[in-house]
Amino acid sequence: MYRYDEFDRDFVAGRVAQFRDQVERRLKGEISEDAFKPLRLMNGVYLQLHAYMLRIAIPYGTLSSRQLRMLAHIARKYDRGYGHFTTRQNIQFNWPKLADVPDILADLASVEMHSIQTSGNCIRNVTADHFAGAAADEVADPRPYAEILRQWSSIHPEFSFLPRKFKIAITAAENDRAAIQTHDIGLHLKKNAAGEIGFGVYVGGGQGRTPMVAKLIRDFLPEKHLLSYITAIMRVYNLHGRRDNKFKARIKILVHETGVEELTRQIDAEWEHLKDTNLTLPEADVAAITAYFAPPELKDRAEGWGQLAAWKKADPDFARWVQQNVRPHRHPDYGMVTISLKPIGGIPGDASDAQMDAVADLADEFALGEIRVTHEQNLVLPHVALADLEPLYRGLVAHGLATANSGLITDIIACPGLDYCALANARSIPVAQEISTRFGAPERQAEIGELKIKISGCINACGHHHVGHIGILGVEKKGGELYQITLGGSADEHTSIGEIVGRGFEPERITDAIETIVDTYLAIRTSPDEIFLDCYRRVGAEPFRSALYGAAQAA
Amino acid sequence: MTFLWNASGPIENDPWTDADGDRPILSLEAALQSNAATIGVQIEPADDVRRLEPILDRVALVAVNFPAFNDGRAFSHATLLRQRLGYRGEIRGVGAVLLDQVPLMLRVGIDSVAVTHEPTIRRLKEQRLPGIALHYQPSVIPTTDGEGYSWRRRAV
Repeated sequence: MYRYDEFDRDFVAGRVAQFRDQVERRLKGEISEDAFKPLRLMNGVYLQLHAYMLRIAIPYGTLSSRQLRMLAHIARKYDRGYGHFTTRQNIQFNWPKLADVPDILADLASVEMHSIQTSGNCIRNVTADHFAGAAADEVADPRPYAEILRQWSSIHPEFSFLPRKFKIAITAAENDRAAIQTHDIGLHLKKNAAGEIGFGVYVGGGQGRTPMVAKLIRDFLPEKHLLSYITAIMRVYNLHGRRDNKFKARIKILVHETGVEELTRQIDAEWEHLKDTNLTLPEADVAAITAYFAPPELKDRAEGWGQLAAWKKADPDFARWVQQNVRPHRHPDYGMVTISLKPIGGIPGDASDAQMDAVADLADEFALGEIRVTHEQNLVLPHVALADLEPLYRGLVAHGLATANSGLITDIIACPGLDYCALANARSIPVAQEISTRFGAPERQAEIGELKIKISGCINACGHHHVGHIGILGVEKKGGELYQITLGGSADEHTSIGEIVGRGFEPERITDAIETIVDTYLAIRTSPDEIFLDCYRRVGAEPFRSALYGAAQAA
Repeated sequence: MTFLWNASGPIENDPWTDADGDRPILSLEAALQSNAATIGVQIEPADDVRRLEPILDRVALVAVNFPAFNDGRAFSHATLLRQRLGYRGEIRGVGAVLLDQVPLMLRVGIDSVAVTHEPTIRRLKEQRLPGIALHYQPSVIPTTDGEGYSWRRRAV
């Protein structure tokens, strides 16, 4: 993985000193809360319902065991003993004191971490496929490009006060695990016929109150033009994105109102001036960054095949965990292991300090000390020998981290909701917990198969409900909470926005409604191989609507 | 009281006046109509700064307006003035200018600021800017290059 050089270290130290000065001026009253807000946000500090919240960047979701131990330390020392992994591969702490934040940032800097641009109207953490560098189906590791973009976008003097936040995601596989079409810019790394690396460039995806699927504006952008082309997009957006209404300020609205052809023309016109300037990426620099991500040397461990078969036979729980949470690695003797942060009835994405320490230890023992954070709020050990799966599993079980539900109905994405968030209209976490408990039996989950439930506590859609196979949106109605259901959303290479199925459900009825939908699916699927999403795409909303509201109302 | 500052310190005897004086700062439309030998012009966020091109040889001051702290369009205006149009006269940041923007303004080629915020004025008088001397991207003002990767820069 990328390691800081002296430049990076000095930069982050400079940023910590800068923010310390800003906090001191704020505490002295020299900066108003209004003027301080964009400064603290660009350092990841939010004001939440009960306290400040600090969001720490985990660039493209890649962590070392040493870094994860530091996150555990921060949870212990400055927070209440846990952290919350987010849908943008970051971690956030919900209870730090503002006066402690500069010290937390200094602790983070000691392990090459920071919270720069995890919030605010700037270019946010660049996310990537959590299986990058290990997946059998990728064209090349996307992380070097994410790292180049991370560096280039850090305190960009022209693009630090954009109309709204700006999110970039990158994937290098046809099977998109980074949800690129729901981002402001989505990059699809690919090779052309000559074997050269380039990017399909998507612009204008997003969720929130106006969900939109990104549009492909360039099919193959050669690698060396990455920074110049993105600069052109950013400049057009900075100048022309709407600033009169924060709900219409994302680039998706500019794409929609300007029209994709006209906007592409404007971007291309700007790019004509930029494409052969000092923004062109030299091959040597790309190669130097790529070298940090060189694939680890994995020894052949063929003995794992036989051992694995024996272990699975001896322990059905282990077999189920392997079946659900271990995916094929490009090396046949290895697997990519998902560590579920979705215990049955638990809070999606939360991890205690002890759990973080445990994962760090297990990563050192069995997985080359490398951990990933997924946008689905789980952790991944990307390189585990099949021969080590059983002892790894035992270690995870001991810390409540071996829930065998990756991709299943209880692997729920949820935003913090009204329990923490100042923007929320409704609670998300208790809804996730109740659904998880209702469907928690392993046999039942297995029977239902792949089904992604995503829950947001308000229209800002941090819980990605628009792209859930089943989406749940909490709204406020007459002083109470009401939950709207959408069906048929997806955030993969066939991205779609879910459709609202009908009127909402009260908190005490939402889990029953989900069960009705699931039972309807089980009754009408052509076979267990037809997952919920495919079934919905085949039959549409009608059978589900009838089941939920009765045939008369559905008509 | 408005305080004028550039990188060398407070600006004394600024020649520019308001619209009624003898060296007014004009709107873009008025500037395009003006026959004056020396023009000062204020660019508003929604203006297309490239329209200045035909009269640029007579322009001596471009004030770029930050109507609110969080409106960053003037950063692009200044960049375009310097890099696209090759403008070499003064660019002045005006409006809601606060201390923490000033280092970014300097990087995109804004060379002076008009400030009313007292704590900002104090720090500018002390020449204590909150910037970082290391940059991850080329911008307008001269910097060293070759800090390991092509995109990195160090302030000179």
